[in-house]
Amino acid sequence: MEKVEVGVFLSDCGNQLSKTLDFEALLKHVKQVPGVALVARASEFWRGEGLKTLLEAIQGKKVNRVVVAEGLPKLSEVNIVEEVEKAGFNPYLVEVIDLKDHCAWPHRNTPKEATEKAKAMLLAAIERAKLFEPLEKLEFPALKSVLVIGGGIAGMQVAEDLADLGFKVHLVEKTPFLGGLAARAGRFFPTDDCAICIQSPASDVKTITHTSRKCVYRSGLSEIPNLNILTNAKVVKVEGVPGNYKVTVEKKPRYVNEQKCIRCDLCTTVCPVGVPDEYNAKLKKRKAIYINVPPVHPPVYVIDESVCKFHDCGKCVEICPTKAVELDQKSKQVTFNVGGIVVATGFQEYDPSVVKEYHYDEYPDVITNLELARMIDGFGPTNGMVIRPSNRKPAKRVVMVQCVGSRDRRWNPWCSSICCMISLKHAMLIKSAYPDTDVTICYIDIRTTGREHEYYYEKARDMGIKFVKGRPTEIGHDPEADLLIVDVEDAVSQRLLELEADLVVLAPAMVPPEGTKELAEMLSIELEEDGFFKEYNAKLRPTETKLRGVFLCGGATFPKDAPTTSLHAHSAAVKAAKFLSKGKIVKYQRTAVINEDYCGDCEFCPVTCPYNAINLVQKDEEHFVAQVSDLLCEGCGVCVGTCPVNAIELRHSRPNQMAAQMKALMSINGTSKPLILAMCCSECGHTAVDSSGMAMMQYPANVRVMKVPCTGILQVHQFLEAFKAGAQGVMVVGCKSDGCHYEVGSPTAKKRVDLAKMLLKEYGIAPERLEMFNMVFIEGDKFAEAARMMTERVEKLGLLRLTGAS
Amino acid sequence: MAHGKEEKHALPFSKEVKEQLGGETITLCYQCGTCASSCPVAKITPKFNPREVIKLSLWDERQGILSGDAIWLCCSCYNCQERCPQKVEIADVIYALRNIAIKEGNVPKIYSEFANGLINEGRIVPLSKFVEKKRPDYGLPPLEPAGVEALRKILSATGFDKLQQKKEEAS
Repeated sequence: MEKVEVGVFLSDCGNQLSKTLDFEALLKHVKQVPGVALVARASEFWRGEGLKTLLEAIQGKKVNRVVVAEGLPKLSEVNIVEEVEKAGFNPYLVEVIDLKDHCAWPHRNTPKEATEKAKAMLLAAIERAKLFEPLEKLEFPALKSVLVIGGGIAGMQVAEDLADLGFKVHLVEKTPFLGGLAARAGRFFPTDDCAICIQSPASDVKTITHTSRKCVYRSGLSEIPNLNILTNAKVVKVEGVPGNYKVTVEKKPRYVNEQKCIRCDLCTTVCPVGVPDEYNAKLKKRKAIYINVPPVHPPVYVIDESVCKFHDCGKCVEICPTKAVELDQKSKQVTFNVGGIVVATGFQEYDPSVVKEYHYDEYPDVITNLELARMIDGFGPTNGMVIRPSNRKPAKRVVMVQCVGSRDRRWNPWCSSICCMISLKHAMLIKSAYPDTDVTICYIDIRTTGREHEYYYEKARDMGIKFVKGRPTEIGHDPEADLLIVDVEDAVSQRLLELEADLVVLAPAMVPPEGTKELAEMLSIELEEDGFFKEYNAKLRPTETKLRGVFLCGGATFPKDAPTTSLHAHSAAVKAAKFLSKGKIVKYQRTAVINEDYCGDCEFCPVTCPYNAINLVQKDEEHFVAQVSDLLCEGCGVCVGTCPVNAIELRHSRPNQMAAQMKALMSINGTSKPLILAMCCSECGHTAVDSSGMAMMQYPANVRVMKVPCTGILQVHQFLEAFKAGAQGVMVVGCKSDGCHYEVGSPTAKKRVDLAKMLLKEYGIAPERLEMFNMVFIEGDKFAEAARMMTERVEKLGLLRLTGAS
Repeated sequence: MAHGKEEKHALPFSKEVKEQLGGETITLCYQCGTCASSCPVAKITPKFNPREVIKLSLWDERQGILSGDAIWLCCSCYNCQERCPQKVEIADVIYALRNIAIKEGNVPKIYSEFANGLINEGRIVPLSKFVEKKRPDYGLPPLEPAGVEALRKILSATGFDKLQQKKEEAS
C-alpha cells in the first residue's frame, strides 16, 4: 500500500477567519499530525492562486489525500471536486470542511475556544482523509428510446417532444383511439376551443409555423419518423433496469387494416349490431364496427369484439371497397428495448352512483360533467343540443352540483381541482348557445386559481348564471310534474331551497384510472395514499419518480387542467432526455458494499432500502446473500444502519473513517463546557449548521459537528461509541421525518435513538444525554438553540465517567 | 362578536367541544350546508340550523350556544350525520354541546322533568291514567313498576343524579 501523504489547505477568507482563529497555532498543530506532508495557507483554495497551489501539489504527487478548510464549503466543494478530477485525481480522496460557518463565526466571541475547536475539526478531517480509498467511476448503458404509456394530451405531447429531440418513442394507448379524456371533454378552459390542441409536430413543416397550434387529428402525429404509435395496446411486462428496459406490449386486434381503411363509412351502414355508445354517454347507439367521433386518430375503424358476430355475419367484409376488414386478426405481443419510461395514464371520472342520495343510477336526467361535455360537443350524440336524456326534449332548467364524491371523506377527500372550472365552462357554453336556459351552480367553494380563471367566474355571473352556496342533500324526482328537485341550503341567504330542474349535472371527483395499481407494481414505482402515482418531490421534481428512468406526467400524479398537463409533459420530456441523452449513465461507485462472509439469510436490508437497490441472491444451496445494484444504490446508508451483523458498509463512509473522525473531534476540548457530538446528515442537518453559522448565531464551541450521509446510517452502537470517545452528550440532527431526502432515513434514526436511550438507561447513563433533532436548512436558529440547550442540559447532569474509557 | 363580554374560559369554545365526548369531529366542518338541507327540524323552524350551530361554536360563541334553544331542538334523526361529506358527527356534536350546557345548569324544563322521571319512576314519560285505561283495549298487560333501584345505582355511579340536583339548585 502506498504511503498516505495528506495535504492540508487552510483558507483564511481574506484574513476574515484569522480575526477569530489563531492561524499560526492551527498551522503549527496541523504540521505535527502524523501523515501530513504539506500545509498551505491562502485566502481561498477553490479558485485562483489557491486552487493552483492545490492542483500543483496533487499533480506533483506531493500529496495523495487532500483536506481543504474553506469558507464556502458547499459551493467550493463542487468546484474543487471538478478541478481535481480534471487533474486526474480521484475526488473521493478530498475532504472539505468549513472553518467559517462551523467554527469562526458561531464562536466569534470566544476566539481561544474556537481555535481549539478548529484544531479538533482539522484533526478529524485529516484522520478521516487518511483512511479514504479512491472510488471507481462506473458506466451503464442508456438506450436512446422511450416508452410512453397513455395516449391522452400528456402522452401525446411528451411523445412528440421526445421524438423531435431524436429519441425513438413508443406511444402505447389502451383504447383504440388517441386523445384520452381530453378528446372526450370536447372543449377546454380557459380558451373554450378544442381540447385536443397540441403543438404542431416538426414533420408538418409545409403548412405549420411554430406559432400556430394544431389539433391531434390534423397534426400528422403518425408521420413523425421516430414515433411508433400502438393503439388498442397494453404494456404487459417490463424487465430490466433504468437505462435498459425490455418492454412487452400486447396489441389487441383491430380487425381493420390500418393501412387499407379509407374511412368511407360503408361498413357501419351494413353492420346489423347496435349497442349503446359508451363514449358518447350512451345518448346514441353505435355499430359493432365503429369510430368514436368523425375526427379520430388513428383514422381507422375498429370492431368491438364483445358484440360483433364475426363470420356469422361478415357484411362489412363484403362491402369494404379496399378489403380492409380482417376478421381473422389475432392478438400479438411485441417487445422492444427502451432506456426510459414515461407514465401518462391520466385520471378518470369517479362513478357518482355511490352517492346514493343523488340517484345517478336511477334518474336518467342526472348526468355527469363528462356526459354533458359529450352533448355540448358538436360531434357528440346530440350535435350540440343540451337535452333531457329521459325524453330528449331541450333542458331549460339546469342545476349543477359540485364536489360529488370529492372533498368527501367518505369517498375521495381531495379537491379534484378542475371541476369548478369545468362547470363554469359548461354553464357559459349552455348560456351562450341557449340564453333562455336557467343555469344554477351549487357549490361549497368556487376555486378558480389560475391565469384568467377568476375572469371565468366573473363572466359567468355577468351572464346571469346563478350560484347557490350549499351542497345539496338530495336530488328528488317529481313524477307528476316530471322534474327533478334539488334540496339545498343557500348559506349566504340562509334559505332552504328546492330547486326545480330538467337536468342535473354532477361534477364527480377525478380519480386514478383502473389498472393504476397493477402498472405501479409492474414498474416498481410507488403510489400516494390517494392512489395516484407518487412523484419524487412535489416541489422540485414533479415529473420524476424515485426510480431513475421512470417519469410521470399529466393527470397520472393528480387531476390537472390542460395548461398544467402541457407543462408537465414538456417537463417529463426534458427530464427523460436529460437522463438518456449521453447514451450512458456515469456515476461514481458511491454505493453500499456487502461483506458476504457476514451476510446471510435475513431480509432486513432489501426491505429497508428506499431504492429497491438490494436483492437477495443464492450463495450456495441453503444460503442467500444480499447484492447491491450499483446503478440503483444512492449511497444513503440506511441499509448499513439496518444490518444486524455489520455486513454492509458504504464505500464513501466506512465505519473506520467515521470512528477516526469521532475520536479526533472528541480528543481536544479547550472549553470549560462538556463536549457534545452532533451527528448531522449531509442534507438538512449539516446545512442547518451551515445556516446558523452564516447568520452568526452563537452557540458554545464544545459542540462538534460530524457529517454522515444520512442519519439512517447510524447504528445504536455508534451512539454508545460517541460516549466512549469522550462525548458528554450526543445530538443526532436529521431532516424532518416526512422530509428525509432518502425517505426513510430520518424516521429510522429516530427509532434507533429511542432504542439507544433505553440502553443508556440500562447502563446507568442519563438517556437525556442523547437527543434527536429534525430541522431544515433554513432553521439555523433551531440548531443554535438545540446546541445551547444540550450544553446546558449536559452541564446540569454533571460529568459522565465511563469505566475503561480514557 | 362580543368576545370581550363573555366569561373567560381556559380553552376556546371550539377546543372545549372537541375535547368533549362526541365533539371530536367539529373542526372538520367546511360549512357546505348538507346538514341544513337534510334537517327535518330546520324545514319547519328557523330556530334550528345545524350548520349555524357548528359555525357559531367554531367562532367560540360559547354563551349564545349554551344558553340558547337551538341545541335542544335537534331530533337526533342522524340524517345530517349520514350525509356529511366531512364525516362530522353532527348529532353527536350536538349531544356534546348539550352535555356542556347541562354542566353549566342550562337545560330546558322539559328535559329536567324527563330526568326526574327517570330517577323517580324509571321512565322518561310518566304513566298516565289514560294510558293505563287504554292498554287492555289493545290486549296489553298492565304496566309493572320499573326496577328503579338498579337504575338509581347506575345514575348515581355515573353522576347523573348530581347533575340533576345541581340543575335544580340553579333554578
